[in-house]
Amino acid sequence: MIIECKNLTKSYAVENTMVHAADTVNLSVNKGDFLVILGHSGSGKTTLLSLIGGLTSPDKGQVFIDGVENWQQSDRALSTMRNSKIGFIFQFASLIPTLSIMENILLPLSFGENPAGSRDLALDILDQVGLADKGKAFPSQLSGGQQRRVAIARSFINCPDIILADEPTGDLDEETERDILALFRRYNEQGTTFVVVTHNSDLAATQKDARVFSMRQGVLSGQAA
Amino acid sequence: MAPRNLEKQLNILDYALSSLWRRRMKSLSVLLVFAAVIFLLASFQMVTQALTDKASQVLAYTPEITLQKMSAGRQEAIPLAYRDRLAGIFGIRRVVPRIWGYYFDEVRLANYTVMGMDVREMPEGDRLDTALAKGTIPGPEEQGRVVVGQSIVKALNLDERNTFSLFRPDLSLKTFTVSGAFSRDTDIMTNDLIVMSLADARDLYEIPAGLVTDLCVYVANPKEIGTIARKISAILPGVRVLTRPQIQKTYQVVFGWRSGFGSICLLAALASFVILAWDKASGLSPEERREISILKVLGWETSDILAVRFWESVIVSGLACIVGMTAAYIHVVYFAAFLFRPVLMGWSVLRPDLHLVPRMAVGNILLILAFTVVPYLAATVIPAWRSATVPADSALGG
Ligand SMILES: Nc1ncnc2c1ncn2[C@@H]1O[C@H](COP(=O)(O)OP(=O)(O)OP(=O)(O)O)[C@@H](O)[C@H]1O
Ligand SMILES: [Mg+2]
Repeated sequence: MIIECKNLTKSYAVENTMVHAADTVNLSVNKGDFLVILGHSGSGKTTLLSLIGGLTSPDKGQVFIDGVENWQQSDRALSTMRNSKIGFIFQFASLIPTLSIMENILLPLSFGENPAGSRDLALDILDQVGLADKGKAFPSQLSGGQQRRVAIARSFINCPDIILADEPTGDLDEETERDILALFRRYNEQGTTFVVVTHNSDLAATQKDARVFSMRQGVLSGQAA
Repeated sequence: MAPRNLEKQLNILDYALSSLWRRRMKSLSVLLVFAAVIFLLASFQMVTQALTDKASQVLAYTPEITLQKMSAGRQEAIPLAYRDRLAGIFGIRRVVPRIWGYYFDEVRLANYTVMGMDVREMPEGDRLDTALAKGTIPGPEEQGRVVVGQSIVKALNLDERNTFSLFRPDLSLKTFTVSGAFSRDTDIMTNDLIVMSLADARDLYEIPAGLVTDLCVYVANPKEIGTIARKISAILPGVRVLTRPQIQKTYQVVFGWRSGFGSICLLAALASFVILAWDKASGLSPEERREISILKVLGWETSDILAVRFWESVIVSGLACIVGMTAAYIHVVYFAAFLFRPVLMGWSVLRPDLHLVPRMAVGNILLILAFTVVPYLAATVIPAWRSATVPADSALGG
């Protein structure tokens, strides 16, 4: 089991009322699974990804990545785990505006052994998302969809075991969306685990054996009909 | 593990350099202000140090005790005969009469200091030879021959000619021949000085025979200066007895006041610099918060982000130190500290030629670093701790 959530609970106080962003979520993910989590806006999807990735600490419950509980380890170990095991695709723009596309993509590698081939790897991934010629450009010179694809490329650069993707195809046109989902499928077939949250109920159909969940007011329920 | 860690630090350094470059206008302005502050502090330090060195040189030539006759609170000529009345005091090595005064050159609007004494009579008068750039010190019998300071050489154009004339009080002219010139190293004392024989000075100022302006008393044992001064006061009431330690104190008061004034100016500059450093380098703008959050999501630790800030600060302050110190050295050595001239020396017409030999005491360098680099590092790195409070998930939302 690569990801395991036990009774995961997180609430936020918003104007005197408690919002249950995650409500006793239990989830087990095996290596190579492709999870799709559907849910309306505000249902807690981003919160769940953030809890899994060790970015938000839960009020109650635990998250285990490869059997290690996220919040039982030091800041350093947690950071190293994020850096080496997880690729995160943000829901919103997440490029650093003052760095070039190439520099943005290489950011997660800043602390690795930085093999000489990392630039080639970055170019290869840029090519896979259809932006081979944009390495020297800056984020402001790219469209929203192109920036999204750069962020996707960045999440793959450190060859993570797990990709946590928050609405990854939200602002892509149909053809680009198809390319990206095909890319996901290729990586998934090579063993990368995916947890993808989306409004798009057709997404699951593009993947092999996707497990589909739905989320409502922080409650995760199994295989949607 | 070690090489991996090194690799990581190099990557962080690389990131720090590129983020400095990204904000190059901001970085450059901080660097310039920083370098300017260090430049001021270091120049100031070198100048005061050089002046202090000079002052102690001057004092080395000052007689241990100087006697002046006072009347109605003002100095007047002292009879040479007083010399004999000191003969009974044990411990006095020698008493040398001296006539010294100022000469105002109405043509060049400059003040000269005239010193008439028979140099060979001074216990260490021979040592004065070493203070000469060229020529010799004239003997007492060589009438009309003088040794002049560097600014006199310049003001009176003595490179090209050998003689000059000064007016006596009755406006008749007295002509002098240059026998030697003091070297630049003794400028603080000799810059505007004309040294001549006692007889020539008497002639120039029309001082009657048997009178001089002061008597220089040299003692055998410096420890007895105080005792001997008291004895002289008792024997010669109405005579002002100045001791070397008193003169030393006066110097220190003057330098202390001047450097105190300078210090206040520098403190003001320093304070505004710290505020600027704080303002420029510390604030976490929304963009910076976002950047920190993104970096955290990508697996950077808080300590890595702090390390970036630290390297940025070290690079900026290191460059500023090199630039500031070098500029200060050039300023003091090649431009004779012209920025500080008015504060430190007063606006004498003659002073601008003063040649300073800068000295940088290691302790003072460290002090300057402590006053600049440390506050800057603190002002940049400590607020970066705030990045620790930026939640990693804050970039996830909109
Ligand atoms: N940092 C926070 N502070 C306060 N409330 C929060 C915070 N993060 C999330 N929430 C609340 O938790 C609930 C779930 O938010 P979340 O962002 O997980 O929803 P979502 O399913 O990702 O929505 P969307 O599809 O619009 O992105 C929302 O009601 C939101 O207001
Ligand atoms: Mg969301």
